[in-house]
Amino acid sequence: MSHEPYDIGPARPRLDALAKACGTELFSADSYPPGLLWAGARRCGVPHGILRGVDAAEARALPGVHAVLTREDVPGSNRQGIVHKDMPVLCGTRVRHCGDPVALVVAESRDVLRKALALIHVDIEPRQTLADMDAALAPDAPLIHEPHGSNILLAAEIHKGNAEEALAQCDVVLEETYFTPAQAHAFLETENGLARLDEDGILHLTVSTQAPFRDRFEIGHALGIEPWKIRVHSPFLGGGFGGKDGATVQCLLGLAALRLPGRTIKMWWDREESFLAGYKRHAARMHYRLGAMNDGTLRSLVCHLWYDTGAYAHLGGEIMELGMEHAAGPYRVNHMDCRGLCVYTNNPVAGAFRGFGVAQASLAFEGMMDRLADRLGRDRLDLRRQNALRRGDRNCAGVTLTSSVGLDECLRRVQGHELWTTRHAWKKDAPPFTRRGVGVAAVFNGMGYGRGLADNAIAKIELTPDGRFVIYSGVPDMGQGNASTFAQIAGEMLCQDAGRLEVIQPDTERSHPSGSASAGRTTYTFGQALIKACEMMTTKLVRRAALALMIDEPGGFTLVPGAVRHLPTGKELPLTVMGAMLPRDDRVCVAEYLMPVSRDVLDTGKDFPLGFPHLIFPFAAHLVRVEVDELTGLVRVCDYLAATDGGRVLNPQNFHQQIEGAVAQGLGFALMEGFGTENARITTPDLSTYLIPTSLDLPDTQSVAVETLEHSGPFGMKGVGEVGMNGPLPAVASALSDALGAHITRAPVTPAMILELLASRGAQA
Amino acid sequence: MSVYLPGTLNELWNLLDEPDTAVMAGGTDYLVRRRAGKSAGQICCLERITALRGLEAQGGFLEIGAATTLTDLLESGTVAARLPLLHQAVRWLGSPLVRNQATLGGNLCTASPAGDTLPALYALGAQVALLSRDANRVLYVAEFITGPGRTVLESGEILARVIIPLPDPDSVQHFEKVGRRQALAISVASLAAMLRLDGDIIRDIRLAFGSVAPTVLRCTEAESWLTGRSLSSGNLNHAADLVRAAVSPIDDVRATADYRRQVAGNLILRLKAYRP
Amino acid sequence: MIIRFCINGRDTELDVRGDERAVDTLRERLGLTGTKEGCGTGECGACAILVNGRARLSCLTLAAQLDGQDLTTIEGLGSPKTPHALQRSFAEHGAVQCGFCTPGMVVAAADLLARDPHPERETIREALSGNLCRCTGYTRILDAVHKVEKP
Repeated sequence: MSHEPYDIGPARPRLDALAKACGTELFSADSYPPGLLWAGARRCGVPHGILRGVDAAEARALPGVHAVLTREDVPGSNRQGIVHKDMPVLCGTRVRHCGDPVALVVAESRDVLRKALALIHVDIEPRQTLADMDAALAPDAPLIHEPHGSNILLAAEIHKGNAEEALAQCDVVLEETYFTPAQAHAFLETENGLARLDEDGILHLTVSTQAPFRDRFEIGHALGIEPWKIRVHSPFLGGGFGGKDGATVQCLLGLAALRLPGRTIKMWWDREESFLAGYKRHAARMHYRLGAMNDGTLRSLVCHLWYDTGAYAHLGGEIMELGMEHAAGPYRVNHMDCRGLCVYTNNPVAGAFRGFGVAQASLAFEGMMDRLADRLGRDRLDLRRQNALRRGDRNCAGVTLTSSVGLDECLRRVQGHELWTTRHAWKKDAPPFTRRGVGVAAVFNGMGYGRGLADNAIAKIELTPDGRFVIYSGVPDMGQGNASTFAQIAGEMLCQDAGRLEVIQPDTERSHPSGSASAGRTTYTFGQALIKACEMMTTKLVRRAALALMIDEPGGFTLVPGAVRHLPTGKELPLTVMGAMLPRDDRVCVAEYLMPVSRDVLDTGKDFPLGFPHLIFPFAAHLVRVEVDELTGLVRVCDYLAATDGGRVLNPQNFHQQIEGAVAQGLGFALMEGFGTENARITTPDLSTYLIPTSLDLPDTQSVAVETLEHSGPFGMKGVGEVGMNGPLPAVASALSDALGAHITRAPVTPAMILELLASRGAQA
Repeated sequence: MSVYLPGTLNELWNLLDEPDTAVMAGGTDYLVRRRAGKSAGQICCLERITALRGLEAQGGFLEIGAATTLTDLLESGTVAARLPLLHQAVRWLGSPLVRNQATLGGNLCTASPAGDTLPALYALGAQVALLSRDANRVLYVAEFITGPGRTVLESGEILARVIIPLPDPDSVQHFEKVGRRQALAISVASLAAMLRLDGDIIRDIRLAFGSVAPTVLRCTEAESWLTGRSLSSGNLNHAADLVRAAVSPIDDVRATADYRRQVAGNLILRLKAYRP
Repeated sequence: MIIRFCINGRDTELDVRGDERAVDTLRERLGLTGTKEGCGTGECGACAILVNGRARLSCLTLAAQLDGQDLTTIEGLGSPKTPHALQRSFAEHGAVQCGFCTPGMVVAAADLLARDPHPERETIREALSGNLCRCTGYTRILDAVHKVEKP
């Protein structure tokens, strides 16, 4: 065990890594308390209809069934949702997608549960299925949510300057439409949790969740319980990526627990149910008209974005907002007219997913840059560098970038890299039946919640009676490693080694509300709060030590590993003594931090209830080298390079892990992951039809950190959890246009698409 | 619901007398079907019957026990050396974990149009030995499989052995599987080819295609046209057109019929690499 | 039915149901939750265990099939106090993010190293191709196996 301070800078193994590698770290799914009951939802199996009846008599009569609940059994509002509460816990009169739940069974075993679910008969009068956005927007389309009055969840606009006027004055105007599909998170640990209502009327939940504090409000509103009577514990998640942000199992579990007080209820969605009922990335359509001058200066963008939010809102409006805010890319564009429609359909519910609306737009804005470069005969990287945003510029939403902007340096690193400089020779060297291409992309992704929703975290740190420090994390660790980073921050601030630091995973009873694990914000916001809490702790310990050592003033003290030391006299007080000496109330420090927001006053974006605009952005430049097989259309990714500006790097291993993982998901999105529906019924229901990359499908991504200094962030960092996701699709599209001479407008790129492009370009060598 | 693990064939026959008894080898197909509710009843596992495992070369044939795991096949030096066609087909089936339990017999009895070992077995002219308490019969693989998921296996009968004639050591054996990713992928088109060359003239050739018809397709039109002709791009291109006319693929979530048809022909063009 | 097997070096006897899956026996009956379930259909590898030294999918193995066999789960390979070289290597090389795929990966890697103590990196890549990871992109997992400390 190292006795050096657990500080910022060196690459450190994560504190949870060994336990996970040994199988001893308990995920939510790993909990099987004695006497537990299993709960499961009967889902309607019809994309749109009126629920005429649920016949559960046979199911109730089955031995081992403890309850079968329907809408009548749901107290409270029967509505869950993060911002927009439009999703029933159990459907009453209307079903809106095939996964909509109409009954909840609680049984003594999974076997009985399965049998009981099959015995429930559901009578649904089908309504017209709205299988895509155009059907939903048709004037005679039935309303999916009657109270809402429209199938448009949100219509919004962002204006900067006079876009149409400016477009007319451009030397070059390019027009294109792009399509991106729904995507499944496909975390290895599917949605699951446990719930129990205890004798004091407190509802206890252990859930694989990204938002334990908010869950209480969602459950409370849905089931008519006061949120402070709900306690949520979130252990390490086996993946989240946004799919566990917002109630998944929580309200159903709460409902079952309320019905069977004192019993522990477990729910664990199998993979098929996760695909059916869990959240997806919004499928999108993007229509772009980009205007530029002959010298390569971007001038104006007029674009329309459509996002398919499926049957329920989740964070559809906020996701569209972020996409729109990024619509022109990380470039200086003086005029923009961006209109967005977030549309309800009967497709599976779309929600938060890493890259949150921006992964979609990135295909469009980067696709237009490549087209422009080709049209003007310009080098693709040079054109990007020419237009790249710099600190002090206004972005396409009109926001002044007061924070760090390292985009040009990222592009410069890629441009100077051997993978780029040797590209011509590499392409010429293609083997038989193979075409080679090299592509690039510049991406960014706003961090945090944006304006309108306080991005706040409260950190609590405690000195234990045996002289160690416990950090009460308020934000779940879904694999991004924030627990370890918090220990490092505390180690750095308090000069303690890893052996003296413990991080407790979020528990609404023991930690303090700190927002969700999302938006690339957890290390930034909680980290800043933690730094303050550590400063308070240092001040406190120093003063108590001064008293104890009878030294009249607290200057000259410092924390060293295991003790507080008075430098002028050399006297020390061990932390074990301090911990034993102080009462609990005096051993705990709590501090909070609120992420800064833009101070620009913008006369646009008024349709967004929250989230607009963002202020702080990580940036990245990506490069990919691909080979296309002319006989099969298969694309092989040979090399991948990502240069990322995440401010200062606190832990190189954590930083690069995030980039490498995001790139892997992005490559899946580019080349094999299209979550399929036909007439709003899923065509990719399991992992044999919905394919994510295996070890044989990915190269070893080279990740380079381009360090800037984000003054507002803890030790100068900003969150890079999402930005890596946005690069691969446009980079692959760029490489394919380089290889084939034809532009890709649709994801995922399929082998059939490639063969068609090859055929349409003729048999050119 | 009972599970039996007989150690001998005699024990097996008694168990198969019971109605509603499913036979399972590796379980990688069967248990997935069962989980989806497509099978129920009691299960009889074959894995403990040593007579059904192992490989033996004799008299110009390789005999493979039907319950031999695919990993055992992959690790067999004889298969690698004399049947690289089968070795390659097995190498790209599923994943290492799947192969550690999946069996050659299982792949045959599942008889999927996309079964990964099947094109190779057809091209190699493999036979299967079917065994029951009182009888045994030997059929060519093409006679054993009659349609998608259908074989001539009768109740009380199991597939006991696969018998493969060992090809001429200087025969060219070529396999290519096209899937949407590089592991754990159902084939969308595959080619198992075996040919013998005199210089650049094709003395004889076998072309077996997977995933482009209800069962594996030996494209005899292309085979006979190519026989006696040189292994040139022009000839291969013509043969590719014959292949495309012969296949009858379907549209499904993994690929369209058009794509499969186009690619089936294209796969032939890869044989140009064997031109001396 | 009664089954008798050796698990992580301990002889065990259990009465199991016919259609009981090995993954459930391990996780729910024996409390060995280190072995995970990600799909139930053999597509993800998270449920991998060693049976007679060979990695197999416990979600596609019936408990009945364990009778007379010698099992090793991730817990049997090592613990945080006495980790297996692979477990230590995974932790050190940054091969663990969410960690849910990790036990299956380590088991598959252990199977490989038992047969091929010094594999090439691309051999490792192929050997782990049946274990899906959604977090890492696999690079550091391959590093961890490639650079594991040899005894």
